[in-house]
Formats: sequence, C-alpha cells, structure tokens
Amino acid sequence: MRARCAHLVTKDSDFFALQPPMDPWLYDTAEDLDQTLIERLRRFPRKPDMLVYGARSVAALAMRASMGIYHRLQVTGRENLPREGSFVLVANHASHLDTLAILSAMPLKKLHRIFPAAAKDFFFVSVPRLAIASIVVNALPFDRKANIRQSLSLCQGLLENPGNVLLLFRERTRTTSGEMNEFKPGIGLLLAGAPWPVVPCYVDGAYRAWPKGKRFPRPYRVRLAIGPPRDYSHLKRG
Amino acid sequence: MSPQAALNSDVFRIYVALLVGILAVAGVLIAGLKYGLKRNVDHAVRSYRGWLMMIPAVLLCIFLDRITTIVFFTVLAVFAFKEYARATGLYSDWPMTGVVYCGISAVGIATLLRDPTYAVPGWYGIFMALPVYVVTAILLVPILRNRAKGQLQAIALAIVGFIYIGWMFGHAAFLANAKYAYGYLFYLFVAVEVNDVAAFTCGKLFGHRKLRSEISPNKTWGGSIGALGVSLALPWLLRFSFPHFGPVELVLAGLIVGIGGQLGDLSMSVIKRDVGVKDMGALIEGHGGILDRIDSLIYTAPLFFHMVRYFHDLY
Repeated sequence: MRARCAHLVTKDSDFFALQPPMDPWLYDTAEDLDQTLIERLRRFPRKPDMLVYGARSVAALAMRASMGIYHRLQVTGRENLPREGSFVLVANHASHLDTLAILSAMPLKKLHRIFPAAAKDFFFVSVPRLAIASIVVNALPFDRKANIRQSLSLCQGLLENPGNVLLLFRERTRTTSGEMNEFKPGIGLLLAGAPWPVVPCYVDGAYRAWPKGKRFPRPYRVRLAIGPPRDYSHLKRG
Repeated sequence: MSPQAALNSDVFRIYVALLVGILAVAGVLIAGLKYGLKRNVDHAVRSYRGWLMMIPAVLLCIFLDRITTIVFFTVLAVFAFKEYARATGLYSDWPMTGVVYCGISAVGIATLLRDPTYAVPGWYGIFMALPVYVVTAILLVPILRNRAKGQLQAIALAIVGFIYIGWMFGHAAFLANAKYAYGYLFYLFVAVEVNDVAAFTCGKLFGHRKLRSEISPNKTWGGSIGALGVSLALPWLLRFSFPHFGPVELVLAGLIVGIGGQLGDLSMSVIKRDVGVKDMGALIEGHGGILDRIDSLIYTAPLFFHMVRYFHDLY
C-alpha cells in the first residue's frame, strides 16, 4: 500500500516544484519616462496627459470668457465647420488674438484636437512660451526657417488621423501694419490635391486690439467670419 | 505653524542653520574637488544642484504655514503617483488614475480639515478611513465601465499607488498638524537623508556582501549596518527636536529610520526592477524623479507617525 502510494507522493511534490512561476505582468511604461518636463512639452506629437488636458480645459474656459467679455467676440458662419473628419482652418495673421479667437469659436469637445501651427523659433524656445504653446494652445511646432517639408509632413500626418483640425496662417508672421502680408506658398504644397476640406477664416479687429509689440491686449471688439469649406483635392500637387 | 512661530522656534532656526551649513560645506567640498583637485565631479554637481532646489522649497513651505506644507506634500504625492502611473503603464487608464488623483486630494483635504469632535487641526478619523472609500471607488471603476479583461492589474496598481504613495506618504503631511511639527518633520527629512548618505558611504568603505543581489546590486550589508548605527545615534544628537521623548521613543525613532529607510529604498527598487526602469522620472536634476527621492520617506513617515501617536498623541 505504502509502495503504491509512494510514487504519488513524489509526483505530487514534483508537481509543486515544477509548477512554472506566475506569468509576469506586462507594464506599458511611458516611453518618455526619462525625459524632463521641458523635453516632454517640446516633443510632438504629444502624448495625452490628464493633467495637461485638465489645465488646457480650464485655460480654454478662461480664454472663452475673456474673449467673450473683454473682446466681445462675434462669430459668424459657425455652421460652415465640417462636422466630421479632419479639416484645415486657414486664417489671416495680425495678432496672437487670431489664434485665441479661432480657438474660442471651436466646439469645446474638439479642444484637444485643434492644432494651431506655431513658429518653432518663437514658441518652442523659451520655457514660458513653450508652456503656453503646448499646454494652453496645443500648438504644432512649425519650423519656418528650415525643414519646411518636414513640418509640412508633420501637418499631413496629423490630418491623416480623422477628427484632427489644423489651424494655419497664410502669412509667415504677424503683420506689422494691419495690412495682410505676402502669402506664403507652403500651404499650397500641403493642400493641393489633399482630400481635406479647407475652411477659410477672417479675423477682424485683432490687429487693433493687440498689435505686434504691445504687451497687453486692449479691449476692442474682435470679429471672426468662418467661410464655407473649399475643396482642393482636384488640384495637381507640386 | 506660521512665519511668526517659525522665527520664534529654536527648533526651526537650528535646522535652518544646520541645512544651510551642510549645503555650504558640501558646496565648498565639491568646488574644492572640481577646481582644486581637478576631479570629475559632474554627478555630484548635478545632485548638488538638485538639493539647491529641493531644500529651499521644503524650508519655504514649512516656514510659511501648516496649509502650505500640507498642500506642498499633497502636490508632491500627486506628481509622485503620476510618475508611478507612467512607469507602470497605469496612466493610460484615465478613469482609474483619476480616482487615485481624487483620493490623494482627499487625503490632503482630510489633513487640512479640523477635527469636529476634538477641535484640533487634521481630521484623523476620516484620514484613517479614507483607504476604505478610495479602494471601493477604485473597484467601482471597472464595474461602471462594464469591463473585466486586464482589470485586476489596473485595480492592483491603482490600490498600491493610492495606499503607498498617496496615503502612507500623506502621514508626513499630517505631521504638520502636530504640536512639535517642526521637530518631527525636520527630524524625518534630515534623518532619512543622513541614513541614505551613511548607507552609501559605509557601503563604499566596508561593503563586501551584497544586501539583496536581485533587487539593488549596489547595496551591501556593510553599508546597511553602518547606516543603522548612524541612524540609531541621530535621535540622541537631535534630541532638541522632541524634548518629550524618552529613551524608548528615541531608540524606536532611530530604528524606524535606520531600518525603514532602507526597506523603503528597496521596496521602490523592487517596483522599478520589476517594471524595468532605472529611474521613475527626470524631474529633479541629478536625482531622477520625485519617487526616487522620497522612497525612504514614504516608508518611514507612517511608522514614525504612529510611533509618536502611540506614545504621546500628536497635540
């Protein structure tokens, strides 16, 4: 009897000894874990971050309130915004208020999917501007000095993700006279033959309220007109 | 705690002098090594710059008020948890991390509130009961989302994150409510760091046998026992911080820091090694992340807190 049971006992203990250890968990560590805060803010595309999204939402509400009360923002043509898919907003550039006015006019649920193209050499260098550009405005770093093609392909990659909105300015920099600057050809490179609708916007009064070189905006009225979307997919590229 | 009280408190003034003195001596030593002996001390310089940021920040918060101290610790816990969540991959689960962020904020609020029954700062009852509510809230998340796959991992990571980084570390903030807040807080910070430095130095001097080869290959039994010796002596040297402590409390305070500090270090190393990261972040220059800096404090603060409460109550 004992002999018959003996193999069972040894087998049993072997069973415990040979039991493979528990499968380890897989940890999906953030790939930018070893980067400093500033390096993380500078990188693009950004990783979704709850605290950044929270801060941006609070900032967006404050921005909407100040645009509404201080600048009495008037928006016409809101119905022209495409409801689905990616699209490109193209606007004139007279002041920082252009960006803020357009951002304030967009639906809140799109908040984290609107990417204004911003000058890399201006917004992505000093830390305070970097913080505003990446946290509040959610800007796309556009290199206007070199690597224009690279920046344009960044824009393209962004738009290929349905639902993203890209805000571009037709001019290279803010106007210093209130008149429109010479238009830049980069937008054409991006949009000719591209499938995304292009929504033209015109911001009026922003230059008077906050011209380049002034420290603070003045309480003038700002108007934003959103035009019907245009389609350039039939155009030849190049 | 208030700026007035801080200026009038001998304990506060002595510790400020002590910390400024240590910083000054260390600065002179590093400068001497770098410019006098032309040694490569880049690592020490970066670590020193990290201390130059951290020590004034902690001093300022403790100097200002009880409220600033508690808010500072709560913010620290939030960002420490964020590092942990980013390292373990929990951060992609927003509802879960959101619940833990709320829980950590609740720990801060319970620490700030006045106890309605005893009219003293810090609502101890709700502070102690919080893990119950936060764990139930964490368990509620998968139920509300109607999900099961992979949820145990998320639940477990969230509970460890809240209990360890939020609640246990929250005990350090609760000490700000104590009658001898300056003494307790400064003793903890100084003793934990001295213990760290002593373990490193003793390890260099007479460390041969590895303490835990699979967890932290740089730590040795020699370093660990040397640090325990230093930590046991420290409460007697810093006795002015807690004049009401008898010998038993002093020995316990030394043991808690001497053993607990190193266990806290090892605990964080277990987490880091299992996850497969070297540092939890890169926020503090030369130190890695917040969690890499406060790992020992997380372990010792609650032990010290309950030792104090057992013998003397907080107030």
